[in-house]
Amino acid sequence: MTILNGASFKRMEAALFATEARQRVIANNIANAETPNFKRSEILFEELIENAMGVNTNKRLEGFKTNERHITIGKGSLGLPRAQIVTDHTTAMNPLTNNNVDIETEMALLAKNQLNNQLYANQITHEIMMKKLAITGR
Amino acid sequence: MKLNTGFDISASALTANRLRMDVISSNIANAETTRAKIENGQYVPYKRKMVVLDANQQSFSTLLDKSLNVNEKTTALKGVRVTKIVEDTTPTKLVYNPNHPDANAEGYVEMPNVDTTVEMIDMIAAQRAYEANITALNASKSIFQKSLTIGKG
Repeated sequence: MTILNGASFKRMEAALFATEARQRVIANNIANAETPNFKRSEILFEELIENAMGVNTNKRLEGFKTNERHITIGKGSLGLPRAQIVTDHTTAMNPLTNNNVDIETEMALLAKNQLNNQLYANQITHEIMMKKLAITGR
Repeated sequence: MKLNTGFDISASALTANRLRMDVISSNIANAETTRAKIENGQYVPYKRKMVVLDANQQSFSTLLDKSLNVNEKTTALKGVRVTKIVEDTTPTKLVYNPNHPDANAEGYVEMPNVDTTVEMIDMIAAQRAYEANITALNASKSIFQKSLTIGKG
């Protein structure tokens, strides 16, 4: 039974978790906007899920099968990567403090992330409602 | 559910910026203080104070997570804290004012190394940083509230 366990629902759920993780990372970047030697971090999720879903076929890793019963790696898998935190060590916004947080960018990302979160939450609610409609019939 | 740490991170920055404002207030209030303390029987003027910000916060929850090896990735986010308040080492200003009770034999008075203009600029920066963190806190709150409504038609 896959009432709420389909691939798209799981992906939506993973995206929702990614926005929550991103919120923490952005809050941390803003909190440390003036901390010397602090380097900003960000969440890598959309790129990973695109690769996993096979949208970007050039970069995708695929398992080589020698037997029918081998577990599929890459193509055809559910495609649920874990959100990763990456820290940008290369740039510096302020050469005096060696800090690379750009507060305007962070605030823009914060607003964008908030809207993305609402979008995913609404979509998940919508899917639940559709399943409910299918079950009850009205 | 780890969204609570989003609140903790923003709250730590609010605390740090409030302390920064307190230090700036102290600097402005003591911009003319010539008798901050006595050293070797002589009055020493007030020295400008500065906060030292550090990203390594050792709160109870982060230490607990570390000792339990829970989710190493998220424990890397620790907010900010003021580790110490240091004195500015720039030399004090000498002002010629022979009538001042703390004037030396040549008539010069040692005044604090506080520049009010710099303090006002720092104060604006601290205020804006506080506002930015309030916005981040509100965003965390709205994401939390939105997550609570999932499944409600």
